[in-house]
Formats: sequence, structure tokens, C-alpha cells
Amino acid sequence: MKPLHFLTLILIIPAVIIALVPQNTTHPYKLTAEQLLTEIRTGTQFVSPDELADQIIKQDPSIQLIDVRNPREFDQFSLPGAINIPLQDILSDRNDDLLNQSTKMNIFYSNGSTEANEAWLLTRQLGYQNNYVLLGGLNYWTETIMNPSKPGSFSPNDEIARYDFRKAASMKLGGGGEAALATPAQDKSTTAPKPGVVPVKKKKKASGGC
Amino acid sequence: MGPLSVNEIISPNTNLFLAFIIGIGFGFVLEQCGFSSSRKLAGLFYGYDMVVLKVFFTGGVTAMLGLLFFSLFGWVDLNLVYINPTFLASAIVGGLVMGAGFIMGGFCPGTSFCGAAIGKIDAMIFIVGLFIGVFIFAFGYPLFEALYKAGDMGAPKISSMLSISDGIFAFILVVIALGMFYVSEWVEKKFPREEY
Repeated sequence: MKPLHFLTLILIIPAVIIALVPQNTTHPYKLTAEQLLTEIRTGTQFVSPDELADQIIKQDPSIQLIDVRNPREFDQFSLPGAINIPLQDILSDRNDDLLNQSTKMNIFYSNGSTEANEAWLLTRQLGYQNNYVLLGGLNYWTETIMNPSKPGSFSPNDEIARYDFRKAASMKLGGGGEAALATPAQDKSTTAPKPGVVPVKKKKKASGGC
Repeated sequence: MGPLSVNEIISPNTNLFLAFIIGIGFGFVLEQCGFSSSRKLAGLFYGYDMVVLKVFFTGGVTAMLGLLFFSLFGWVDLNLVYINPTFLASAIVGGLVMGAGFIMGGFCPGTSFCGAAIGKIDAMIFIVGLFIGVFIFAFGYPLFEALYKAGDMGAPKISSMLSISDGIFAFILVVIALGMFYVSEWVEKKFPREEY
């Protein structure tokens, strides 16, 4: 058999097969259920209110707060610099550049943790990175940062230090107690300017040539 | 699961390392095909040796069928495979420049390094010329920029432009390739050259 005839044979058979089979148009999710379960169980997606308060006070430009509640609730109260993406809009193309990026740390929050966690779960399932969840949501935020409870006088030092930090953060961020007198509570105009989010171009995949 | 690098199954460094290994393999195959001889390469333009066309077309068609089968088995997500964007005007001009250089120099960029690796002096001189061209382009970039970026078509696929499935297009391309192989066998017989 001539080499060219042999080549013809071994190329034409798969070519006929590939022409006849339907195209595979499924878009496999990037994470398997097992991988996701591991991430959920380790809870790496959570950011504690203390960490967040610290970042907000330092005006850390690398964080982007995303409020996943509805616009009405967002207008009533939101954390400084937050943007509103209601949970039902989380998959819209408009938000894709915001959620699937590699420069900022997105932190979802809702009243509790549930909705924010759902938003995280959806984006994580799509394989997006850099999305996190505010632990305990706004309820826990109010409880710990805005109205920190004073530890007993025999509490360990680090607990007192934490209380001091929370009280200071509360004053800075316009929380309750004596701090409310110092700064008008929850007035958006006094908070840090909203950091602009630059939609980043998708990372180019590896290119090549001759 | 694939592409491995995009899905972060392997790190960018591993990716580069694999590219290095594949590059060595590519160079080895080029050398073994005799592509380090400029006479053999120039044969494509004079019709006495069409091996360049056969090797590259076979390589392209094999990779195409491989990717389509991998996609069929769910081993690779074709939507994540990078496709070089098409700039039609600059591709045509660049192709003409590259073709002229190929005929004059007797090498293409990859094969010139292959030839240089086994000590061919003409290949080394070709590489010097290649770098002169690179520097002219790089330093004269403002002059070429308009042409370089002209006619951006994104990353179109011929199959979607013809609104046929990838599989049908692959079949047509395989038939075209095989047709060209038979024609080139005929051309080689028509314009034979004994010693080169």
C-alpha cells in the first residue's frame, strides 16, 4: 500500500465520523461537586467583619463590596463603597466583567449570609475567583462592629483589644453608641468615595505560531 | 477538563515547560523531515518537492481532528481554546512578506533555527536577516500600526461563517488536504529534479 493511500485511509475515516456526530456544545462547569463541597466545608470564602472593617478604614482599593440585596434595601443602607447587584441579576452579562476578574477582591453581603453565599456559590461554580462572602452578613456586622458588646473586666487581653478595635471602627464607620454623636449615622456622603471598578479584559489564553 | 492551563490543572510554569518539550519535539520532527535543507523547502515553490505542504497540512488536519474528537469526548472545552484574532489586511501583507522571504532565503522562521541547530551557515545568516526584520518592525512600529491593526475580525471560524458544523467543515478540509496531496504527487512527477 502506498503511503499516501494509507494516509488517506487514516484521515478520511475519523473525518467522516466527526462530520456525522453531533457537535458537543455542553459547557462543563469548572468545578466538580466534590471540589465545591471541599471549599464550602473549609469556609475559605468567608471574610470576617473585623477584617472587612479594617480594610474599609484603610480604604483598601483592592476590595469591592457587592450588595446582593434588592435596590430598595440597598438605598436604605449600604456599606461604604458598595455596589448593588441583586441576586437575580448575578448571572447577567453586564456583571460578568465585575465578577470574573483577577484584580479585586469582591465581597458579597446581604442581611444574613444566605443570599451572599448563594451568589458566591453561583460564581464559584462558574469557575470565577476572587469572590468572597461577608461572614454573618449585615446583621452580624451591626452586632459586632456597629454595636460591639463590652467584654467583662476579667476578659483576656486580645478580647479587650478586639473590643477597642471594633469601637474605633464603629466610630469611624458611623455606628451606634457614642459614635453616633460624632458622625451622622449611615450617611453615605460622609463615607469614603466609591472606588471605581475597572472592568478588566479577560486573560488571554496562551498564543502560539510557527 | 482541558485546556489544562486555562482550567488551572497545571501551573503557567508547567505549561511553559510542556511548551519547551513540545518545541523540542517540533524541531526534531522538522529536522527529520529534512526541513533544515533550504533546497527542500524551496522545492515547494518550484514543484519538485512538496513535502512542506504535506507535512504542515497533515499536522494541521491531525490537530483539527484530534481537538474535535477531544471535544466530543468532553476532554477539552473548545470555547476556552485560544484562537488568534484575524486581521485580514495585515495577514495578507504579512503573508506576502513572509512568502517572499521564504523564497529568497529558503527558510521559514522555525526551520531556520532547525537549520542553524545542525550548523547550516545559510540558516544562521537567515536568522540575522530575521532579526533585522524584527528590529525594523519594532522600531518602525508607528509607521506600521495602522496596517497592523486594520481589519480586526475578532476570532471568526470559517465553519460558523459558512453556517455549517465544525465536523462538516473538518471533513471538507480533510478532503481538500488529501486532494492537494494527490495533486502534489503529480506535480513532483511533472517537475522532477534528481539532485538537490
